[in-house]
Amino acid sequence: MTNIITTPVSRRAMLKRASEIAGMGAAAPLALNLASMGDAAAATAPGNDYKALVCVFLYGGNDHPNTLIPFDKMNHARYLGIRGGVSFQRKDLIPTALTPIQPQTLTDDLQYAFAPYLPRLKVLFDGGKLAPLLNVGSLITPVTRAQFDGSNRALYPLPPKLFSHNDQQTYWQALGSEGSTVGWGGRIGDYALSSNDQALLTCISASGNAVFVSGDKALQYQISPSGAIPVKGIKEAGYGSPQIMEALHQLITAQSKHAFENELTTIMRRSIEMEGIVNGALSKVSLNTNFDLVPGENSLADQLKIVARLIGARKELGSRRQIFFVSLDGFDHHSNLSQKHNELMSKVDEAVAAFYVATVEMGVQRDVTTFTASDFGRTLVNNGDGSDHGWGSHHFIIGGAVKGGRYYGTAPHVSATTDDQVGQGRLLPSTSIDQYAATLAHWFGVPDSEMATVLPNIGNFQGRNLGFL
Amino acid sequence: MKTQANRPTTLAAITDAEAARFLLRAKFGATDADIAAVKAQGYAGWLDAQVKSARGQSGAAWLDSQGHNAITKEAEYFNPTAGDFMIWNQLLAQPDEMRQRCAFSLSQFFVVSLNPIDGYWPPYIMAAWWNILLDEAFGNFRTLLERVTLNAGMGMYLNTKGNLKEDPKTGRAPDENYAREIMQLFTIGLYQLNPDGTEKKDTAGKPIETYVQADVTSLANVFTGYDHDMSRVKFLRVAWQNFPVVTAEFTSDPMRLEAKNHSSREVNFLGLTIPKGTPAPDQLKLALDHLFAHPNVGPFFCRQMIQRMVTSNPSPAYVKRVADVFADNGQGVRGDLKSVWRAILLDPEALAPADPGDSMSGKLREPVQRILSWARTVGVDPGDGKYKIYNLSREDTGIGQSPLRSASVFNFFRPGYVPPHTAIAKAGKQAPEFQITNETSVAGYINFLQTALRFGNWQFKPTYLALKPIAHDPAAVVDWFNLHLTANQLSPATVTLIATALASKGITPAGDDKDKLDMIASACLLVMSAPEYLVQK
Repeated sequence: MTNIITTPVSRRAMLKRASEIAGMGAAAPLALNLASMGDAAAATAPGNDYKALVCVFLYGGNDHPNTLIPFDKMNHARYLGIRGGVSFQRKDLIPTALTPIQPQTLTDDLQYAFAPYLPRLKVLFDGGKLAPLLNVGSLITPVTRAQFDGSNRALYPLPPKLFSHNDQQTYWQALGSEGSTVGWGGRIGDYALSSNDQALLTCISASGNAVFVSGDKALQYQISPSGAIPVKGIKEAGYGSPQIMEALHQLITAQSKHAFENELTTIMRRSIEMEGIVNGALSKVSLNTNFDLVPGENSLADQLKIVARLIGARKELGSRRQIFFVSLDGFDHHSNLSQKHNELMSKVDEAVAAFYVATVEMGVQRDVTTFTASDFGRTLVNNGDGSDHGWGSHHFIIGGAVKGGRYYGTAPHVSATTDDQVGQGRLLPSTSIDQYAATLAHWFGVPDSEMATVLPNIGNFQGRNLGFL
Repeated sequence: MKTQANRPTTLAAITDAEAARFLLRAKFGATDADIAAVKAQGYAGWLDAQVKSARGQSGAAWLDSQGHNAITKEAEYFNPTAGDFMIWNQLLAQPDEMRQRCAFSLSQFFVVSLNPIDGYWPPYIMAAWWNILLDEAFGNFRTLLERVTLNAGMGMYLNTKGNLKEDPKTGRAPDENYAREIMQLFTIGLYQLNPDGTEKKDTAGKPIETYVQADVTSLANVFTGYDHDMSRVKFLRVAWQNFPVVTAEFTSDPMRLEAKNHSSREVNFLGLTIPKGTPAPDQLKLALDHLFAHPNVGPFFCRQMIQRMVTSNPSPAYVKRVADVFADNGQGVRGDLKSVWRAILLDPEALAPADPGDSMSGKLREPVQRILSWARTVGVDPGDGKYKIYNLSREDTGIGQSPLRSASVFNFFRPGYVPPHTAIAKAGKQAPEFQITNETSVAGYINFLQTALRFGNWQFKPTYLALKPIAHDPAAVVDWFNLHLTANQLSPATVTLIATALASKGITPAGDDKDKLDMIASACLLVMSAPEYLVQK
């Protein structure tokens, strides 16, 4: 296979194609698709020893029933019957209906379609670069419906505070309750600290503070969409004076015996020390991928763009193994689900697809794996014009290393009465976060012998590699 | 119970620094007049006076006065940004400052954020919401809880507006959002608490949950059938759009019950059964009474309010003393909020001098509190009075926080947040405000200060009237800021460091205004960047 990515002309041609795809509506034929581009550029440069995991967290609890939607007639009719007014009609799903690359038989012969607002992700699925993981969620140990309904919590413990936003966000990120200080992304990062010239650039949040990227040793480094923020007052005297500049520097970086004060100056020292290094490296990155494919602000696209630029600066920064965290808010769609969820799906589609194109542009699409997470799934039963907090959900893994174009996990019945749900269509997860995480961690290079340190409950589950990578 | 704080305060006992320390908790700023008032009236007398003091202009009246009620083809009635102007005006300029400060603390417990509020009149929706918090800031928790529940903005934020009863034909179920959050966040929390705010444990040493999913699902029935009250609203036909403009009365009227949309099912939650067919208003009363009576409410609410006003890590005994006052204000009244603030601010643990050996004392000042404290203390010229201060939530270009702009109902930060990899975490302590503190925010904040302290924010300019006459005396300038912004919590070494650096400006009494302002703003920047200021002890 010709490695067209390394020749500037082809790269431009490919970007042109990317922008053409971006300009198309959902119904347009996506003949020039991202996936074929990915295949064409698949041969990653030799000696490119780099790997990154990128967690896309959908805050608020993504409505999985309207993200990956039953499409075959029988199951769509069930979906319509249970969801009522917040459903998609079958005809609206035709353009984003999914056909696995190899025939795959799911529960009740389910076939799915993506939300109509995910046309670019559909292209990635078709090209084998995206895999949905079905009904994954927080579990300590596998549980059946009967065990869930029973009272033997010693034998069948449940994660703390199911259905509660903050607690389940923390469980997804740290496999513990709110107040946890170590996340599984950070624990994976602990194994990578020595791989990077700048250990602080191992675990990076382009979103707010997130326990996901805090390890036992690894610290979260936070970066804004425009890069690291310099403290202007210690670089230019402005209306002050050189002496005032120096005093400011001293004040904001001095150690203190008071723990809160000391933590502030510790963060400030990290901020100042990394700013020059990071911005210096970023200034040399030229990234042509367009992250602004549809009108309107998209904070997820802004965050993924700075992640892409940091990946672009990996050689300059001596980064070889990195964990990133980005997020999008607003998924708690108790009402007006149809409109608001569509808007957010569009943003996810734009941001994640652009990010994949960027990894192709940089020739690292096989070295960067992006995956989604969220507080919880939602009820299949509607509550008027929205849905309520659920448990298990469907998630996506995207990247050149992903064995995509097929499903992983077990498809749940489209039902509010079967034993794979716990009422109102709240899915009882059939795959645990731990298994999802273990598969990602294995790909990233965490040795199997260390997996129980990263994921303390992994031993409770059969199958620690789900095979999507 | 007789505490030190309940003894009559000897007036001479209060120093300027003690008065400033008290003021910087009880409200935002600490001017010379404020300090003099506290010294003259004593802490308790000052608090009494604040509770009785006149209300400021309401947010809605201010919006009207600025013409934000105009119905024109620009369709400003859809524009949320005047909601930011409104709340900044309230917090920065209205005279009932302690009430504003207490309402700001309440707004972080009962959260409605402007972020998702859309449709007609978002600024008026937020003004009505804010007005409820102000109305009840010195009132009763139970009254507040009911007004919160039926508020138009809360109805939108947590979906009680338009919440329909079950429909067996379609399988539709009532929305559970408000039922869940009123328990988890607004009253009892997740785990059973002792009166001192610590968690009760079962025989296995595990915390005991307060409610389960079935409680949420059943309580959700109580909150069905409500919608915005459009009975006073006028639907105006206008030339520039083909649907009517709705007038703003619905924003301040409590939501209205539509009986046919209300569930008449039996309700069972937290051990209470409300019989099938109980009229909706009675059902609501019974449910809210039941929540209000739960023993968790006092310690759960009071601990968080202590965290907002005084310290991130109050002792269990401190929490209990305040929660006891919540349970009974001494006159048999439960939930009397003015007594709660008093108990928080006058507790011996709050008034005892900061222990220099305690490395976990106090709290990180919230970014919004820093800006308000500065503006209320140094004096500002509001220019044209439009208060065009926007959402400052961005960490890179703003201050990482903006009033009534929380990212979710879980507030800007969680009360139990523990910053990883810190001595704070190792000691098992909490530091909520660190949840919005990171490499970006610490730099963004100082950059924001650098502009705002010298040039103001849009039309909003600092005057530093008290400082200009002493601008030639660096030590006096630093002392002024140290007292008024930090209650003299800067160490002698820091004071010297700042004064020495400021001397480099070489300001003389005859120097021009611009140079003096450069020097004063530099002094303020150094003080407000200093960790000894940022941590309020």
